[in-house]
Amino acid sequence: MKFKDYYEILGVARTATNDEIKKAYRKLAHQYHPDVSKDPAGEAKFKEIGEAYATLKDKDKRAAYDALGRHSSGEEFRPPPGWAGSQAGYQSGQAYSFDDIDLADLFASFSKGGRHTQHQAHHMPIPGQDYELTTQISLEDAYHGATVDLSFSVPEYDHQGQLRRVPHAFKARIPKGVVNGQKMLLRGKGGKGANGGKDGNLYLNIHFLPHRLFRVIDHDLLIDLPITPWEAALGATVKVPTLQGAVNLKVPAGARSGQKLRISNRGMPKHNQEHGDLFAVIQITVPTNPTEQEIALLKQWSDISTFNPRTHFVYEAV
Amino acid sequence: MNIEDSELIWIDELHEVSLGGLAALSGLSLEELQLLVESGALAPISPTEERSPEDWQFSSQCIVSIRTLSRLKRDFDLEPNSLGLMLAFLERIRMLEFKLHALDHIAENNGK
Repeated sequence: MKFKDYYEILGVARTATNDEIKKAYRKLAHQYHPDVSKDPAGEAKFKEIGEAYATLKDKDKRAAYDALGRHSSGEEFRPPPGWAGSQAGYQSGQAYSFDDIDLADLFASFSKGGRHTQHQAHHMPIPGQDYELTTQISLEDAYHGATVDLSFSVPEYDHQGQLRRVPHAFKARIPKGVVNGQKMLLRGKGGKGANGGKDGNLYLNIHFLPHRLFRVIDHDLLIDLPITPWEAALGATVKVPTLQGAVNLKVPAGARSGQKLRISNRGMPKHNQEHGDLFAVIQITVPTNPTEQEIALLKQWSDISTFNPRTHFVYEAV
Repeated sequence: MNIEDSELIWIDELHEVSLGGLAALSGLSLEELQLLVESGALAPISPTEERSPEDWQFSSQCIVSIRTLSRLKRDFDLEPNSLGLMLAFLERIRMLEFKLHALDHIAENNGK
């Protein structure tokens, strides 16, 4: 088990009073709480801060933590013999494995009503913890609906009463109609409740994997549509891929780069059997290695044309 | 490893959740949720005088804000009386972010 210096995490001395610990926690919570902070690393940081505070604010847990002795952060260690039974109501004389749990699991077990907790906690219903997972699915799976494999591991007691990280796996059916960033939940698939407490829930964030051709905004799709300069100038009918198969799209004469052409009902499915739209974003593309004949024709076009796309520019200094 | 099938529940404005369901999902008590309704911060769908709290239904969209509120209450030891105000701000932020996202979408469509 790796050691974590909870005092260092909260930035307080080992002799800090409860008030000092609470004040330090509140300051850090305002800075890193994932519901308050926009810091992408905030969630992981707050988890550490919350873990440190949960242990140090509780007199018994703090005493048990202090009894672990001083170690460097990240140092491998094992609690000293007799530590658990003497400090936190653990049953004495029982061998425990600390190999596949971390310090947070160990101290969380003090108040979860599990087999190792204090006697008075045994009859109190304790709800299971909620968990949150993010799964990534392809655009094709989101379009048709799909079954995804979800797996995660959480600390639970085994039949011998040892706390271990237990892997869980579910197959979840994601219906068509989800949008990128959709939240869903699996009721009762979170942590196990204790003493009749309800099992926790599993919250699922669904994110779409980047697609080779399409970008997605809500139920609409965008696709870059490269066209030649002569297709842009003269207009053309071009074949465009969609998730329902290719369609012929009429590009109007005089098309501009960045112009969006809407192909209705070719986007992602909605709840009501309708679909979003597909937008083809025009990109006028020139050949990278034009032939001599092409260069000659372009020069000829340049010579005879009076077209100036920069008439709106102002060149005087301001 | 135990593999089992599980159905997902949508969290969006088109699906509903009961008061009890909201309590179970959010971690707030029934009393705390009723206080939020009484303060006007949380609104059931089609409330009527005759409809008792057991019959209230809420848009499942509110699960996310209520759950955030529950986390903030737990992690910051919020006073019960401040929960309504906090929820109003959370909802306002959610709506503003939604509008900002929509404006970004329009700007992106017009800009190209």
